[in-house]
Amino acid sequence: MTRPRPHILSPLAGILICIAAISALCPWAGAQGKTESECASCHRARAESQPRTPMGRALALPGANPVLVENPKLTVRKGPYTYIVETREGKSTYSVSDGARTINLPIPWNFGEGAQTWVLERNGHRYESAVSYYPSIRGLDFTTGDEDLNPKNLDEAIGREIGLPETKVCFGCHATNAVTNGKMTFDTLRPGVACEHCHTGTSTHLADAFNGDFDSAPPDLRKKSAEDISNFCGQCHRTWELAVRNHWHGELTVRFQPYRLANSRCFDGADPRISCIACHDPHQDVVRQDSSYDTQCLACHSSPSTTPPASSTSAPEKLQTQAQIQAQTQAKICPTAKSDCVSCHMPKVKLPNGLITFTDHEIRIVKPGAPFPN
Amino acid sequence: MAARDANDLPGAIALYQQALKLNSQWPDGWWFLGSLQYGTGAYADAKDALSHYLELTPNAAPALAMRGLCEFEIGDYPSSLKDIQRALALGAANQPRNEKILRYHESLLLTRTGGFEDALRSYAFFTHDDDSNPELLLAIGLAGLRTPLLPREVRPDQQELYIGAGKAAFDFMRKDTDAAGTEFQRLFERVPAVPNAHYLYGFLLYAIDPDQAVVEFKKELEVNPSNAAAEVMLAWIPLTHIPFTQNDGSEALPHARKAVAEDPALPSAQLVLGRALTEMGDTKDGIEHLEATMQLQPDNLEVHLALAKAYSKSGRKEDARRERLLCLEMTKSGATTPGGTEPEATKPEATKNDATKNDTTPATHP
Repeated sequence: MTRPRPHILSPLAGILICIAAISALCPWAGAQGKTESECASCHRARAESQPRTPMGRALALPGANPVLVENPKLTVRKGPYTYIVETREGKSTYSVSDGARTINLPIPWNFGEGAQTWVLERNGHRYESAVSYYPSIRGLDFTTGDEDLNPKNLDEAIGREIGLPETKVCFGCHATNAVTNGKMTFDTLRPGVACEHCHTGTSTHLADAFNGDFDSAPPDLRKKSAEDISNFCGQCHRTWELAVRNHWHGELTVRFQPYRLANSRCFDGADPRISCIACHDPHQDVVRQDSSYDTQCLACHSSPSTTPPASSTSAPEKLQTQAQIQAQTQAKICPTAKSDCVSCHMPKVKLPNGLITFTDHEIRIVKPGAPFPN
Repeated sequence: MAARDANDLPGAIALYQQALKLNSQWPDGWWFLGSLQYGTGAYADAKDALSHYLELTPNAAPALAMRGLCEFEIGDYPSSLKDIQRALALGAANQPRNEKILRYHESLLLTRTGGFEDALRSYAFFTHDDDSNPELLLAIGLAGLRTPLLPREVRPDQQELYIGAGKAAFDFMRKDTDAAGTEFQRLFERVPAVPNAHYLYGFLLYAIDPDQAVVEFKKELEVNPSNAAAEVMLAWIPLTHIPFTQNDGSEALPHARKAVAEDPALPSAQLVLGRALTEMGDTKDGIEHLEATMQLQPDNLEVHLALAKAYSKSGRKEDARRERLLCLEMTKSGATTPGGTEPEATKPEATKNDATKNDTTPATHP
């Protein structure tokens, strides 16, 4: 059903006209896609907070990398090779030397906000840097997962070459409008995860909203099932299916939250209370305080009479079905505590290299000394 | 034993047969009898003797392997494939020569019984040595062009076509994609309407460039509009391999429906239809197709992955968990740690849980 369109331009439409006019005058505006400022006309709070999140800062261009500004010279020796990442006047270079010869490369792409890896370009090929920056040591070490590369010469010591399919995955996750119709599109790429990365159809929505038509608004992701949201977020954070299909096991999988979550006994793909967005608002920085997740845990693990209201950032209460309410009464009640649930049931796990710690999203009763499940 | 050592095979066989009449529970007797009969080309008799041996020693990999080779020779291809695969799983490929023989026969049998994609993956083993010969290329060509024949069954005037296709696939599998591209172009020019040639190129390309693979699958349908396998792949790619889109199954569904219409007995067609329906929100019909596929291919990881998702979406929590645990169990033997490398392309015909990393043929498919 189509809503009748208003005959008078709304104040919003006036704002949008101005934006559209500016866009038309700026040749780069169209190429860069819709900016947060355009979305902020209506969705101000989210459009302002999201670019400051780690996802919003998932990729930085040269000169916009505070990590390297704060650490102007980083050095590490790995086997016969010495790596130096040096920043001068906003320009960063990555060099690797075997003592006899040195390869110097400018750093064009800075991946990650905290821990940071660089994608380098040389002779028409792209490489994932062999070493990365880790905040936990305020220095360089092998890039996670690339510890066993064993380069045979200086050229290979730069890092791991990445082909086009992998390039699309890297940039597709860390940037916006980097992949269009399956093709890598550097000309439309915007660093970081911006609105239209997740909310497809923002251009149409913006144009239609300009005409007072809001029917083409992007799908409301809050209405997706837990299973669908896991698969949606898992496009970058890795889905359960992807991890299984690739036979990934071991502690490195702790990085893949949708995979770990789906392994939890309590995961129910049709229950919104276990969805990614039941606990996390992607427009806000991730909340580190354990107690802040109690509400979500107790949404299931409490007697019905004491069920606390769900968080305002999630929508479980709107979508809860009778079956789910019934299931709620069957969820076990923790005999030990009613707060800081995640501190026990979602333990922090260090990657095997000891450099990064992740919260294990496989929710479970953790037995002392038990091995990492899976 | 003396007759055997003296290379008096008929004499040794007769003596073992007499001894086994006196004691039919003598495993070694059956083993030596079967081996000797195999050596003389008496494959049916050897099969019987080895079957007796296997009744007494069920998991003897060499006996399974030899019985499989006997069955191959007498034309019992499904049994032969089953025995050879079981022998491989039990470690029969313990020597390079044995491994070559068994893998080659496995590949031939997979082709002969219609498991063309699995056959190609199996032939990838032979690219490590760069040991191509016309018979191997012909065999690869048969798998690539989806022709369920053995090399000896191919008419002489058809051999050049299959060897050409086999050469292109062989080059691709040994990662010489430029040479492979040239071979494929030569093949397309020489026999533009040959069925499955574009499909083969698409299938190989899919592991490294799914977008280009789509182009080839579409070309295949121009040449051969009723190619259900190409329709399966055109459904499979948007279902599993197009990130950063709000995939709702709508792109896959028409191809999946056409694949089922063209070949309702093709398990991968049922699988992609089940997946596409699930993505479209029709979990009831989706699950129906997926459960039917599971009956046909209970060892296909992709079917269980799809079922786990479908059950999960439909709120069947316990069924979803059962399928998830099953998938995790199926993949434990080939476990890898996730490194920097991104996932390789997958295809919906995978039936086994062997992770063939760094292989140019796709590890899994419907």
